[in-house]
Amino acid sequence: MLTPLPDSKWNDATAAHLLNRAAFGGTPDEIERTRQKGLTAAVRDFVDVKADAADVAPPAWAHPRNIRAQRMEIKAAKDRGENFQSKVREVRMMEGDEMIDLRRWWLDRMLNGPAPLLEKMTLFWHGHFATSTQKVRDAYWMWLQNDTLRRNALGNFGALAKKMSRDPAMMIYLDLQQSRQEHPNENWARELMELFTVGIGNYSEQDIGESARAFTGYRIDFTTQQFHFAPFQQDHQSKTFMGRNGNLNGDEIIDMLVSKPACAQFIGRKLWRFFVEDDPSSAVVDSVAGTIRKHNFEMRPVLREIFSSGEFYSERAMGSQIKSPVQYIVQTSKLLNAPAPPPLAAQNAMRQMGQILFAPPNVKGWDGGKQWISTSTLLFRYNFANYLINGDAILPPNLRQPRQGADVGFGRAAQYAEQIKRDPVDVGKLVPADLRAKSHEVVDLLAKRFFQTRPTQKEIDAFAQFLESRGPDITDANLRELIHLMMSTPQFQLA
Amino acid sequence: MLGAAASWTLPVFLEKTFFALDALAAEAATQAVTGKDGTILVVLQMAGGNDGLNMVVPYADDAYHVARPRLRLAPDQVLKIDDHIALNPKLAGMKSLYDEGHVAIVQGVGYPNPNRSHFRSTEIWQTASDADRTLSEGWLGRYFDNCCSGADPTVGVAIGEETPQAFAAKNPTGVTFSRPEQFRFRPSEPNNGKMSAEEILFRQLNEAGGGDESGTAATNAGGSIGAISGKTKNDLSTLDFLQRTALDAQLSSDKILAIARKYKSTVPYPQGQLAASLNIISRMIAGGLPTRVYYASQGGFDTHAGQINTHERLMGEFNDAVSAFVADLKQQGNFDRVLLMSFSEFGRRVQENANGGTDHGAAAPMFVLGGAVKAGLFGKYPSLTELDRGDLKFNTDFRSVYGTVLDRWLKAPSQTVLGRKFPGIGIV
Repeated sequence: MLTPLPDSKWNDATAAHLLNRAAFGGTPDEIERTRQKGLTAAVRDFVDVKADAADVAPPAWAHPRNIRAQRMEIKAAKDRGENFQSKVREVRMMEGDEMIDLRRWWLDRMLNGPAPLLEKMTLFWHGHFATSTQKVRDAYWMWLQNDTLRRNALGNFGALAKKMSRDPAMMIYLDLQQSRQEHPNENWARELMELFTVGIGNYSEQDIGESARAFTGYRIDFTTQQFHFAPFQQDHQSKTFMGRNGNLNGDEIIDMLVSKPACAQFIGRKLWRFFVEDDPSSAVVDSVAGTIRKHNFEMRPVLREIFSSGEFYSERAMGSQIKSPVQYIVQTSKLLNAPAPPPLAAQNAMRQMGQILFAPPNVKGWDGGKQWISTSTLLFRYNFANYLINGDAILPPNLRQPRQGADVGFGRAAQYAEQIKRDPVDVGKLVPADLRAKSHEVVDLLAKRFFQTRPTQKEIDAFAQFLESRGPDITDANLRELIHLMMSTPQFQLA
Repeated sequence: MLGAAASWTLPVFLEKTFFALDALAAEAATQAVTGKDGTILVVLQMAGGNDGLNMVVPYADDAYHVARPRLRLAPDQVLKIDDHIALNPKLAGMKSLYDEGHVAIVQGVGYPNPNRSHFRSTEIWQTASDADRTLSEGWLGRYFDNCCSGADPTVGVAIGEETPQAFAAKNPTGVTFSRPEQFRFRPSEPNNGKMSAEEILFRQLNEAGGGDESGTAATNAGGSIGAISGKTKNDLSTLDFLQRTALDAQLSSDKILAIARKYKSTVPYPQGQLAASLNIISRMIAGGLPTRVYYASQGGFDTHAGQINTHERLMGEFNDAVSAFVADLKQQGNFDRVLLMSFSEFGRRVQENANGGTDHGAAAPMFVLGGAVKAGLFGKYPSLTELDRGDLKFNTDFRSVYGTVLDRWLKAPSQTVLGRKFPGIGIV
């Protein structure tokens, strides 16, 4: 099992580490408050949020629609030889706008919501039960999946997996809603085993075929966008799955998979990689797997043990995780005491950094770790930091003030211009005027806020020298330059 | 010290850096795979599903004219290759190149169990996977991982906003930019041509172990750590990895910017984004950027409605951009070193639809052109009557084309990169 961290080892650094991993980072004040709480209370505050923390108001447009009627309308127009393309384009644009808004909505939950671990676990499950709007298309379904993930994020994993088997977005993504008993579709069954529960090598091709039969009759009602069973499509014959025989249904398949030792190993390893370090030892994975089995796949006690363990606070683990693009956006906004970037800019940033919420590249989700960093993505992070700090003033004028006759269409270009507006950060909040006497003090203050491990004396001196070279007074503009430089370093990518 | 540095002008700084880089590169003596003198592959993605039937036209086949009463191209307008097939009227430049012996047209290219989703089929072409498997890394990424360790970070260059999945690798490699001037750290204050104190400090902070006692100043920014330590990126600790990447980013950025400023094409290029991309590529080649694989894309091929004008325009853009690119390379004396390969995620349906367009199809032709290409027709033109759910059946797996390019052009083991051996084609 994991070994608990002794209270004597709890300090600034461990408090900061907990905030970085269980949440999206913390300001120096938050770190201090967390340290004062002590380990047990701090972990409890994250893990033991009430169930109603998941009662988040959906975006205004997120309600079911009669998709079937909409599609039949388009088909009828097509059959009549009419130009149905404009209607299709309209639907596409609406989907596009709604997805931008859905991403804004979730980033807002992460940055401003009262339950950051709940959001972080939702993000974990989103990468685990990967589903992409590129196939699902409809934004309401993507929101619905996110809502289901959130409501079950800290609960029982088996129950969550069963909910995913009935989730319309997942069913569309893995073709489950087409699966008929005459010819069951194996896509969901395969990924359930390979990617969601036990992992490759722990099942046979026959297991896939047999379990696919157990998942027949799962349907979506396109007039209400909700799940329902179609009993006549269900295969009620006996199936043989992993040595067990009987008229097994989908839920029973999931129960059997979750009960396999390989499942606790698989989920344990993924949790550790997401929250702690890229390359866990097999001993650590065994410990986490043991913890998961002991608590019967209930996430709250598992996370409580993880966040209270010495292994979590190991020297190897602290300050050594590359911030995912989403973590980067949320944590940087928080540290700047600034709002999240405007929706279109945020979406573009996610795309350029390689992690678009609701659009993982494939069903394997995101690998994470060093995969986030290439010369292009690193340069992008540096230049994006400029925008986060200095606002839209740094963007080319033609983006900020579109002229008539722009390619995209003036109305749309003007809309985009609205959507990238951002003011420069109010650095007065970070470094008040009365603390600007000495450049070294200013640098210390900012370094404490933005870096996990203290920079070397050489770097501190270089920052101070830079500030001094700017002039006798430390102005807001100088501070923003300095902060930009601090963020344009390898060290700032770590949490 | 900083005060003195702040008076440097940007060009002076670049020269110093370049000189230092060249000197160190000579010293490091890595056996790195390089495009500097070796062969170069340019991959051109036609995104959206190019209508192969109207690009390489079976003008003598009645079935073509019957299936496409509105979209068919008249036999007297197309550019005839032989008694059966011809090129789209807008491909005059390609026709000349073909006659010169520099174009291989591979017919009927596709893969088993074709997928008709843009997203999924593009993924299949980018990762070279079987249709029923999902791979994360791209085929070029696997080439970089397997065959280019120790190579310059610019071994792969993609022109565009996003890195193509084809480049996705275990060791993230390659550089993506739309314009050379963009691919750099942009300081808070515009620098008016002078290297600002900000930019100088930025460079110091982003050099290998910039914080340690060896205190490398900007002019000593040597080759990447890897050349010195011999480690691949994957072996490095996370911070080392970040620092190595930061240094690579700076060096690549400087190199690219320097080349872009120094090399301008004298051959005229047409308007349009594809021409602009190929122009950048040709300048990088002229400037000796050690890139082995360039990637460019042309969008807009998803012609479900009103295809006739759109496709004609796209064919024209393709033709004019590629022709200019070829002329440029010839003038540089680099045409024999370059092989350009075009592909699309699928072709389009034989039967036109009710909206004057075509829907997603399957098999389609690929163009492979270059100074060293063995010209001619390869594969077979698919039958327009024996179809697979209304679509042309493939007879050449696209991985045969990839494999041939890997083995014969890039001198890389295609079996390792693609997972198995595919029959080669005599295109090069």
